[in-house]
Amino acid sequence: MALLTDQDRQTITAHLAPISKRVDVLLFTQTIGGSESGLIAKQVVDEVASLNDKITVVDKSFVLDTEDRAKYGVDKAPALVVLADGADTRIRFYGANTGYEFVSLIEAVLLAGTGNLELEPESIAALAAVDKPMHIQVFSTPT
Amino acid sequence: MAYANPNITADAVDAQEFMDLSRRYRVTGVPKTIVNETIEIMGGLPEPEFVEAALQPPGAPGR
Repeated sequence: MALLTDQDRQTITAHLAPISKRVDVLLFTQTIGGSESGLIAKQVVDEVASLNDKITVVDKSFVLDTEDRAKYGVDKAPALVVLADGADTRIRFYGANTGYEFVSLIEAVLLAGTGNLELEPESIAALAAVDKPMHIQVFSTPT
Repeated sequence: MAYANPNITADAVDAQEFMDLSRRYRVTGVPKTIVNETIEIMGGLPEPEFVEAALQPPGAPGR
């Protein structure tokens, strides 16, 4: 059964229409010993990808694809890594991406696909001065 | 923010799915943001305040 209603699909399709770059969403899941949320994450990203032909879901094994895990710093599953024209956006999602996180996923895909950073100029200037690795973790819940 | 600078990585973490991490960072309410393991930002802040809080020097009073 689809997670998105027809109305959802229409709204999100219109929202993602400005995408001009290729967006790859790498989905790392663990089939054996993994949680059910991996299946939900898969359904969520597959439904989003079905709304725009520039979006592709690339399935990765959390257990077997160790090189990609290391490359993208993925240390838990399910995980989503968002790429823009093959380049790492350094945006990650850990969990099933339902509820509020679904909106964040849509916005991340839109950012990757358009390159339009919707931050204040002052924020962009302040962030440009970051010259050391900075790791931001935002904890939220689906509801 | 991650998109703005290649030095920045941003993770959105489901606090219920990853309870061990939630315990490690004492996540008792959401959203809660952890920057470089040391800076804690509670709740949702307007963008300028969030960026300022995230960029504060380690050891500065938390939000």
